[in-house]
Amino acid sequence: MQQLDNQEILMKLKSSKQFWDIKKKIKKGFNDQQKIGVNDIQKFAQSCEIEDQLTNLISHILKKSKKRETLKEDQIDFLNTSKIKWTELLFKNLDIVHQKTKNQEEDDTNTDSKLYIYDEKNLLAFLQTFKQQQSSALYQNVQFQSNKLLNINIPLKSSQQILDKYQYLLLQEELQDEKINKIRKQIENEHLDIELEKIAQTFVPNGERCLLYLKYFEFDHQETILQQNFTKLQKECLHQLFYDELLEIDGHEISEDTFYFVFQEQILTCLKCFIRDKTIKENIRIQLQNGIKKEHTEFQLPITGFFPFKNISKYVAPLCYLSTKIHIIYALFKEFFCRYFCFLHAISSENNSILSLCMQIEEIISTNSPKLFHHLKVIGCDTLKLIIHQLIYCFVGDMDPPHILTIYDQIIGHDSLEILVILCVGFLNKYKSKLLLAKNYENVQQIFQELREDKFQELVQFAYKQ
Amino acid sequence: MQNKKLKWKSDFEKSVIIENFVNRGWIKSQEKEEEQTDWNVYWATVWNVRNIFNPKNGFRLNDQQIINHFPNHYELTRKDCMVKNLKRFKREQDKEVLETFNFDFLPTTYIFPGEYSLFVEEFHRNPNQTWIVKPAARSQGKGIFLLRKIQQLKKISGTTVTSNMTQLNLASKENYVVSRYIDNPLLIGGKKFDLRMYVLVTNYKPLKVWIYNKGFGRFCNEQYTTDVAEIENMFVHLTNVAIQQYSDKYSQKHGGKYSIDALKLYVESAYGTDALNKMMDDIHNIMLTSLKSVQAVIQNDKHCFEMYGYDILLDSNLKPWLIEINASPSLTTTTPVDKNLKMNLINDVYNIVLPNDDFPDNDQKQQQPTKVGGFTLLYDENLDPNNRKTQKRQSVKIWK
Repeated sequence: MQQLDNQEILMKLKSSKQFWDIKKKIKKGFNDQQKIGVNDIQKFAQSCEIEDQLTNLISHILKKSKKRETLKEDQIDFLNTSKIKWTELLFKNLDIVHQKTKNQEEDDTNTDSKLYIYDEKNLLAFLQTFKQQQSSALYQNVQFQSNKLLNINIPLKSSQQILDKYQYLLLQEELQDEKINKIRKQIENEHLDIELEKIAQTFVPNGERCLLYLKYFEFDHQETILQQNFTKLQKECLHQLFYDELLEIDGHEISEDTFYFVFQEQILTCLKCFIRDKTIKENIRIQLQNGIKKEHTEFQLPITGFFPFKNISKYVAPLCYLSTKIHIIYALFKEFFCRYFCFLHAISSENNSILSLCMQIEEIISTNSPKLFHHLKVIGCDTLKLIIHQLIYCFVGDMDPPHILTIYDQIIGHDSLEILVILCVGFLNKYKSKLLLAKNYENVQQIFQELREDKFQELVQFAYKQ
Repeated sequence: MQNKKLKWKSDFEKSVIIENFVNRGWIKSQEKEEEQTDWNVYWATVWNVRNIFNPKNGFRLNDQQIINHFPNHYELTRKDCMVKNLKRFKREQDKEVLETFNFDFLPTTYIFPGEYSLFVEEFHRNPNQTWIVKPAARSQGKGIFLLRKIQQLKKISGTTVTSNMTQLNLASKENYVVSRYIDNPLLIGGKKFDLRMYVLVTNYKPLKVWIYNKGFGRFCNEQYTTDVAEIENMFVHLTNVAIQQYSDKYSQKHGGKYSIDALKLYVESAYGTDALNKMMDDIHNIMLTSLKSVQAVIQNDKHCFEMYGYDILLDSNLKPWLIEINASPSLTTTTPVDKNLKMNLINDVYNIVLPNDDFPDNDQKQQQPTKVGGFTLLYDENLDPNNRKTQKRQSVKIWK
């Protein structure tokens, strides 16, 4: 564990607005007193809670300085076993995909967009199998919960807690220019991540978003290093990998998107570098595949430790708005993926994992909109099947870029993906009246094929509507 | 509230025009070709407008008729006339004490054949400069080419052209404009694009201008390069949809059109809010200055309005350059998003020129709100004719 010395801690403190506020308070407390001893300051600090604030600040700095460790083992054994099974399944899929590409080359046919190792439907279908496989001891109250798609006994935050946490978003108002300028100055001057998180929770001006993200990830003075690293990776791309072909196919969908088609080449370049980046394995917060080395297979896992999946391009696309420099876009994408998006593809009981998020959504909808929950089940279109695409890809392709970037702000702001639960609930509530009239899955598909515009604030409002 | 069943006529079989008429419950005019009386709203070709306003035809529009072009719109929308009028206006403004207009948005341009010798002098002064040659009155990228050698002008003269010639005889009767090629365009994803923006003028004297909040960038399908070997590759250099649609990389889904909202988000996020604001101010300046330059020469008529398609190119410093102004911007829709945009655009045009399906009198025109649908009032000379700078600042705030 990396430890900071006192000098380093002081430097980090000095880069925080909160530190200078505390200092101002202390100075004010002593007015024009000439001689002030350490004991005097300590007494004063204790009397008006400044000591607590300073302690929290320092412990946060120390916590952040700890080197991030990748979560490999889950607290629930069953999920560790499942991860192995999932990896085996993906290896099989890889073989099938490889065979398909070989056949296509021989037949000289057009590229099939179904050439991917797994998509969100595959992942959800796999998670569903847990219900049948676990011992009864792991079930929650089976009778009561049996109508849910996912029904696993994992430690889950209460859904009311999540709803309460994000309720402040209902009170967000359009800010005046003066307030926006104040926030701009705050972002320019602030370096401490908890302060940046607070800003990200409320409002991030478009012009300062990239700076906030770079500061939060501590990249703001590292441009040269980022550029050098990226250039090295680009050179490695000259040596073609089979996965490159899958990434090129994945890029077809983004190349048809009216908001992202202009970035098609940049997205592909970023992804090709990504699957060659050795540092990802040590930076990623959670292990996605268990890295079992298969014998007698032509391909092993990429050096990242996980397979690229369908629509991986979607995670890069919104970040292309933030900078003209590809090495910056890459650095931001890598950080977002390693910290957050990886959980959307992890077989895990962690709070941010796809499993937990899905269960939270089912819990809220089955409790707050039981009619909708039941109706969707009856017409063969479970709640989660309807929402899984939006959830896994953070609504990219469903919302316009400004709203996606607001989602990314909230993810940073709370260091969590829970905002996706709120938005998924809101999405289902928004279309509730139409969904209740749907008689089958085709009707449901038609509802979502119409030209629609889903907005961040609108979905938040709907999430809390009864 | 719609309360009148107006009669409409259209020279275009475009759904965005006709559906808008039909949605309002207006009735299609059943008049014969030679009659010009039985319509209230006419979406006409520029040629029919010219015929209608031709004094020889002895036809006068009545108070219940409105048409979509000013009689001599070509002063603004023919490339050679636009250049001529801007240069004239600049000369006039240079004599003024107060500098109120910025003209630094028109690339150095010469009109052929008249200014050929001036061009040759400039050409020799800057031998590494690329020029773009365009027919003055054509559209959709037809007849356009990039010029690096004087000899290339054989394309338009029909005979060999050498650098010591002092005049140029053109094979056809049409004029050409030759402009300095902006070879450092702003690129997104490595590709060149230009902007199509919509401006509605409901009156020239006094000038009243509305700007539409939706528009789009038109992207080339090939990566931009200044490589001389690619100078004739129109898929690299010309952004016209009419050209790009033939690229094998053309997508039916987005048609190479990138919304102006997305572009503004990109510029603000990647370059900063101040950079975006300056860029928009400069674009508004182009629109106002170009319209002001023809204000004195355009035949103003209360029966007329005109919706222009402004083509603007951004360079790598985010500086906008005026390419041309279209009197009849395409109303063909290439994608669902495109259709949505143009349907709303035409709908909003009618909401301004015929509020409540009626012909507004002067008082009603004065009382119009500054925002109607996607249109925002950019300039109204009536409000403060002596303080144009104040107008510009206000209009920027309205746009936001």
